[in-house]
Amino acid sequence: MPTFRDPGDLLQGTLRILILKSLLLGPAHGYAIARWIEDTTGDVLRIEEGSLYPALRRLQDRGLVTSEWGLSENNRRARYYSITRAGRALLRAESSIWLEYSQAVTRVLRAEPSLA
Amino acid sequence: MSSDRAPRWRRYFGFVRPNISGDVEDELAFHLQSRIERNVALGLTPDEARREAIERFGDVDTLRSSLVRHDERQHATERRAEYVADFMQDLRFGWRALRRTPAFTIAAVLTLALGIGANTAIFSVLDAVVLQPLPYAQPDRLVTLGQGSSGEYLALRERLRTITDLAEWDPTTDPVDDGRDALRMTGVAVTPNLMPMLGAAPLLGRGFTPNDGVVGNNHVLLLSYATWRREFGGGLDVVGRTLTLDGLPYTIVGVMPPSFRYPNPAVQYWRPYAIDPQNGGLMWGVGGKQFVGRLAPNAMLEQARREVRTVWPSLRTANPIWDPGPEYRRDATVTPLKADVVGSSAPLLWMLFGATLLVLLIACVNVANLLLARATARERELAVRAALGGGRGRLLRQLVTEGLLLSVVGALAGVGLAVLTVRVLVVAVPTGLPRADEVTVNGPALIFALVMSVATGVVFSMVPAIRTTSAATRASGSMLGRRATATRSHARVSAWLVGGEIALAVTLVVGSLLLVRSFAALRAIAPGFDPSHVIAARISAPEATYAPGSERLAAFYADVLERMRAVPGVRSAALVNQLSLAAPVWAQAIRVQGQFEDVKHTLPMVDHFQTVTPGYFAAMGIPVLRGRSFTDDDRAGQPLVAVVSQSVAQRFWPRGDAIGHRIGYPFDSPWITIVGVVPDTKQDSLRDASTATMYMPWAQRTMMVGSELWLVARTTGDPADAGSNIRRIVHDIDRGVPVSDVRTMDAVVSGSVVGARFAAALVTVFALVALALGAVGIFGVMSYVVSERRQEMGLRMALGATQGRVVTLVVGRALRLAAIGTLAGLACAIVAARPLHRWLYGVSAMDPLTFAAVPIVFAVVALLASYIPARRATRVEPVAAMHDA
Repeated sequence: MPTFRDPGDLLQGTLRILILKSLLLGPAHGYAIARWIEDTTGDVLRIEEGSLYPALRRLQDRGLVTSEWGLSENNRRARYYSITRAGRALLRAESSIWLEYSQAVTRVLRAEPSLA
Repeated sequence: MSSDRAPRWRRYFGFVRPNISGDVEDELAFHLQSRIERNVALGLTPDEARREAIERFGDVDTLRSSLVRHDERQHATERRAEYVADFMQDLRFGWRALRRTPAFTIAAVLTLALGIGANTAIFSVLDAVVLQPLPYAQPDRLVTLGQGSSGEYLALRERLRTITDLAEWDPTTDPVDDGRDALRMTGVAVTPNLMPMLGAAPLLGRGFTPNDGVVGNNHVLLLSYATWRREFGGGLDVVGRTLTLDGLPYTIVGVMPPSFRYPNPAVQYWRPYAIDPQNGGLMWGVGGKQFVGRLAPNAMLEQARREVRTVWPSLRTANPIWDPGPEYRRDATVTPLKADVVGSSAPLLWMLFGATLLVLLIACVNVANLLLARATARERELAVRAALGGGRGRLLRQLVTEGLLLSVVGALAGVGLAVLTVRVLVVAVPTGLPRADEVTVNGPALIFALVMSVATGVVFSMVPAIRTTSAATRASGSMLGRRATATRSHARVSAWLVGGEIALAVTLVVGSLLLVRSFAALRAIAPGFDPSHVIAARISAPEATYAPGSERLAAFYADVLERMRAVPGVRSAALVNQLSLAAPVWAQAIRVQGQFEDVKHTLPMVDHFQTVTPGYFAAMGIPVLRGRSFTDDDRAGQPLVAVVSQSVAQRFWPRGDAIGHRIGYPFDSPWITIVGVVPDTKQDSLRDASTATMYMPWAQRTMMVGSELWLVARTTGDPADAGSNIRRIVHDIDRGVPVSDVRTMDAVVSGSVVGARFAAALVTVFALVALALGAVGIFGVMSYVVSERRQEMGLRMALGATQGRVVTLVVGRALRLAAIGTLAGLACAIVAARPLHRWLYGVSAMDPLTFAAVPIVFAVVALLASYIPARRATRVEPVAAMHDA
């Protein structure tokens, strides 16, 4: 199965969408976000997990997520992130752009002549 | 939470700093740990689990440090924003609170405006006159050597090694004929090196060259910027034009920039001073030239002093005219130019600055007191806020912010006040203040005002704020409880403040009384002549038309005198070369027959030497004690005569037989016989102790007398009426002769003490302000005490105390307060009066009358200030007061 390693800037925008999307379920700590992406994509999008944290800081600085300390399922101190109203609005806008874009690329790739 | 771990004292002051790196560490560790646990659960060995987790995660160390950096930056930004938001909130809140109590606000702002305004005004003057460097190149290397003759100048310039460049200058006022009116212009004759030495270059045209200092080539001049603009219209064609000074044409070669005003802003032009090395008598015989120089690059001031102290006395043998004696120039010294320019103004301004600082302190105390009284009224509000979770630090900040708001508003009003008063101040010092034209309320003064307002704001709000917040936080548990205790302690603090305020005011009042008494003593000094009904004027006959010693000059002045005596109301009129207390009256070395005859030995000095026409003593109201005064027969060709003052007579002929003895000039010349003795007169100033004077008839004196003379006339009526005649008379005879400085002798005498009057007047104003503020303080604290103790007063009245008893109670308390404050103030005054010493005349710094009068003044003030509150106490309705309780 092909695996994408995070090439850096290319996936910045993607990472942002993934994080915001993961938070729609409710507040989550970094590890939970990583696990959610892993499970949802079937581990296809192998992001470097450490890069989640600078991305979260950036989102927080822009007011798209907030954070607070809490206790994890196994009673350890963990920082929980939640999406803000502005975060939701951004996710909505960006996901529609993304979907259009990926559909367009898909159509191109499916056009004749076939690769196979 | 991390702040839980911070010590209590740190949290108390709001210095809570979250443990940022710990948090980042926790967050990352949690992630890795969770991943490892999952990996282990999936069946990996612990080592593999860890390796896999880290591989998935990436570079932990780099990430950790970049996150810590980010979080710290973020935290700082948040703290700042929070602080600013709090500050703005406090400001809004404070503004509303101040607007709710307009009477308090206006009183406080006015008090502060007065304090800060006075300080800013005096500081502006102090800064411009004393603190700012002189506007010349490397001004701290410039020095003055005092005065001397041109012969001394040339020799010193030649020999001194620690002073690279030395210039000479001499003030001069020349009659100018511009074709319309005869007028006098004020200028300076300078050696051509003066401007380059000061680092000044002309704005227009050229500066002086060494060639301009050669006799015969020196008929060129440089205009001051102001004169160029005012008198010559500021046109570029001014260079090359001719100006007739003292009857001789001078070519204008340039214009100096506006910043160049050496030695003072009154100077209208500079002309080169040509020293004639051939004329030994003129060179060595005429002193009074100012020497200014520049220290050699590596020379220290002290080295220059040492050198001048040895070199200058050694010139004793170089003097070709007479032997100035073994004491000659032993006291020669070198003074930094700035100290010389600023002179006695520096201590005066520092003293005034000290006085205004006291006023400001008093203003602070008063405002603190007002705030305290108001804070008591606000105690409940603060208690509520404390109860609602406003920490003590937060409440403190709120109160200090309010104080700052008050003081900044006060400072704004104060700066406005300063801008107005600085103009008055500068005008009020007519002659005394050097660099007065440089005085403005400018950058440094504004910064000073800002610093002052912040400092005072913090000071006066801190005391009440600390008191109030501690009371408020204590009281927040039981909102009304302990109110009595709190207010009683407020009254105590308030009394302390007022006591301190009175002490400060006493210090100022003592100082002002000492100065006023000194001024009165100074004014009471008899000058030795009778200044009432005397008018004086300077008549500057141009030397080109009226050569010194010429028939024409004599005829001109004879005509002036004749016409003046014909004016109705003029009883006598005479001429003198240098008017007492108005122009510097020179000293003179003399020979005394039978005592000091040898010009090669030291000759005694007479403090002052005046050349007068017959009738001078009558016109000035100087009685002739023995012998006679001058007559018209004492003229050229007749035996030479002189009149001496009493101290001259007593010094050389203590047996009282001065008349008939003979004296002479300090070189081989005919003897002069003493024909009369008059009292000593004050010549330089009223404080002047050196009053030995010698008089010569103008008709017989040929040495060192110019064509300019002062006219003095005694009148029966108002001398000012006769004054208006002087200009007309001189103008009728010769339009080309300027008349200036027409003043009554009374004005001349009071003009000579204007410095003392200025200091006394200003300090008195400050003292009155202090007194008024002190009275307000007493009134405030007594009103407060009365209103807080209404119940007690009511009870006393109910139990049969008379109104008089209650009044006595209140007033007595105020008197006790005033007494303690006054005692402390007198102690302060003893210390503070010490530096005042130099302005005191005829009173000791411990003047018993002053020290006795001040307590009485303050007792009266306390009595008056507490009477109204006391009356109010008697009107307390006993029953109503009891009901309140």
